[in-house]
Amino acid sequence: MNLAKTTKLALLSLSRNRLRSFLMMLGVTVGIASLTALASVGEATRQETMRRFKRMLGTFDMVIIEPGGASTRGMPSLATVEPVLKFADAAAIAAEIPAVRQVSEMQFAIDLDVKYRDKATSPSVIGVASNWTEVRGEEIAAGRGITPDDVASLARVAVIGQDVVTNLFPGENPLGQTLRIADVPFQVQGILASRGVGPGGASMDNTVVIPVTTASRRLFNRDYLTAVIAQLRDPAQSASAIADISALLRERHGIIPPVEDDFRVSSPEAQMTQVTEVGSTLTKVLVGVAVIATLIGGTVIMSLMLIAVSERRREIGIRRAVGASRRDIMVQFLIEAAVVALIGGIVGVLIGVAITLLITMLSELSPAIMWSAVGGSVLLSAGIGLVFGLQPAWRAANIDPIEALRS
Amino acid sequence: MIEIHGISRIYMREDGTPVPALRDVSFSIGRGEFVTVRGASGSGKSSLLNILGCLDTPTAGTYRLDGEDVSGYTDEQRSNIRCHKIGFVFQSFNLLPRTTAVENVEIPALYVGGRVDRDRALDILGRVGLAERAGHFVSELSGGEQQRVAIARALMNDAPLLLADEPTGNLDSAAGESIMRLLAELHREGRTIVLVTHDDGVAAYAQRELLIRDGLIASDRPLPGASAHAPDSTAAVPASG
Repeated sequence: MNLAKTTKLALLSLSRNRLRSFLMMLGVTVGIASLTALASVGEATRQETMRRFKRMLGTFDMVIIEPGGASTRGMPSLATVEPVLKFADAAAIAAEIPAVRQVSEMQFAIDLDVKYRDKATSPSVIGVASNWTEVRGEEIAAGRGITPDDVASLARVAVIGQDVVTNLFPGENPLGQTLRIADVPFQVQGILASRGVGPGGASMDNTVVIPVTTASRRLFNRDYLTAVIAQLRDPAQSASAIADISALLRERHGIIPPVEDDFRVSSPEAQMTQVTEVGSTLTKVLVGVAVIATLIGGTVIMSLMLIAVSERRREIGIRRAVGASRRDIMVQFLIEAAVVALIGGIVGVLIGVAITLLITMLSELSPAIMWSAVGGSVLLSAGIGLVFGLQPAWRAANIDPIEALRS
Repeated sequence: MIEIHGISRIYMREDGTPVPALRDVSFSIGRGEFVTVRGASGSGKSSLLNILGCLDTPTAGTYRLDGEDVSGYTDEQRSNIRCHKIGFVFQSFNLLPRTTAVENVEIPALYVGGRVDRDRALDILGRVGLAERAGHFVSELSGGEQQRVAIARALMNDAPLLLADEPTGNLDSAAGESIMRLLAELHREGRTIVLVTHDDGVAAYAQRELLIRDGLIASDRPLPGASAHAPDSTAAVPASG
């Protein structure tokens, strides 16, 4: 019996017992639907996280140098920054590492009050060098950014993010106004273009940017930095640049291994991988659960097929009498199981895609259907039909036709 | 057509004692013969029919079917023989439920190469007088009609040997009569028919009678009335069944 005939026979047989066929499909459908949806939503989330990361970091051709050893974690506040990374370090990196095009010094704190008249807010206050907009890929929506003169003269000028505009200057043009950061007056000279939300989901527009020198001397009163961004000539060289910068800083800080470094140098890719890894591990676990659900669907097929085989003993006897070999019967039941699982799988994929579109729409992610998951699901369901159909098919093939016809 | 030599069939009880159902049986049936097999229940006639139909293999002895020694054939080979050479007609019709008449007729064609020829199945249904019932489900047919469908199925692969096991046993006498006339007509066309029955009226259509008792051939005799019955009967297949 050839495959086309067998498949037709399987479809006919399945259509003659709709309720059983439906129940057989159900488990696989649910499993595959959740598999497709979980994998696709996971992928959409991962892609969105990457997009946000890129938005946060701007360009990727850089490495980030931060104070504190490998054990230091989390966002630095004014109090917790280790006083080890100096302006001189940044200058040395720019001067002595050939792979570095330029450096951009940063000072920041997240726990300062910013006030305008009777309104107050607590944005990130970031002290930056004049090349910050270029290095970070920031855009100025109105007014002007921090200039080299501002940095040189310790000017009390600020460039504010969109959230600060909304919070402090509703219905008012902020340009030229004076706000107070920790009671120090600053004149607003520019507004940053919106950058949306970062990888953690928080807004990246809740910022006040001031000259790094002003931050250091007039606001934070410290001569050490919270971060130095080193822009590279060639992003492909980030590994060797990280090694060179680390070596230079160890020398400057008098660190001889095995003493732990008092700084960290990382590339955005490494950071991004770390963040997205958490998400993809979760996705993997959930997909694993969905695969198990699909396998349980397979056992449903197996048990219903076993019942079907004993109900269809007479049919098997008749087919054997008119010329079906054991193999023909085996193949018939195997194909029946595979077809029912495959149909269940395809229905599951359709439902899964629909769920994905719904979830991504509701959570404002861009839909990302994971076609590898779709293809994998279809193959998985057919495979499950074949594997779980094996035992019932074997039993069907070994029914004695004489016994079956007598009953 | 059929040459049986020294056939035995011994079943084993669960405690290991052998139960012989057929004991050293030998006979032959020529091509185109119409033979009835008679015997009490438990006489061994079912065992014989199973072996003749290649559903079972003899414990000892040889069975040549159409010149081919099939006694040592594997399951696969016997399936192939059943498919091409043997048509079964059962007392309880043994049609697939929830399936139409023509689909039942087509079943044997599933197990040979090539496409299923629906036109041929419809032709054969027409020949047994069921052209108009082809699309009906089995459950919508009368007993006589169901047995006609079963006969049509037996003819689908043009089997030269028909094995009928009490084909009229579940039918009223009129329907049984018309089934027997149909078989007689198939016999006239040259098919070999072996028919198991208790019914004297049915036996009258055959040319020869084998009587089985205790696993042995008790008698093998020609039936005198047969020549009067079969060849001159020109009755067409009646529409009613």
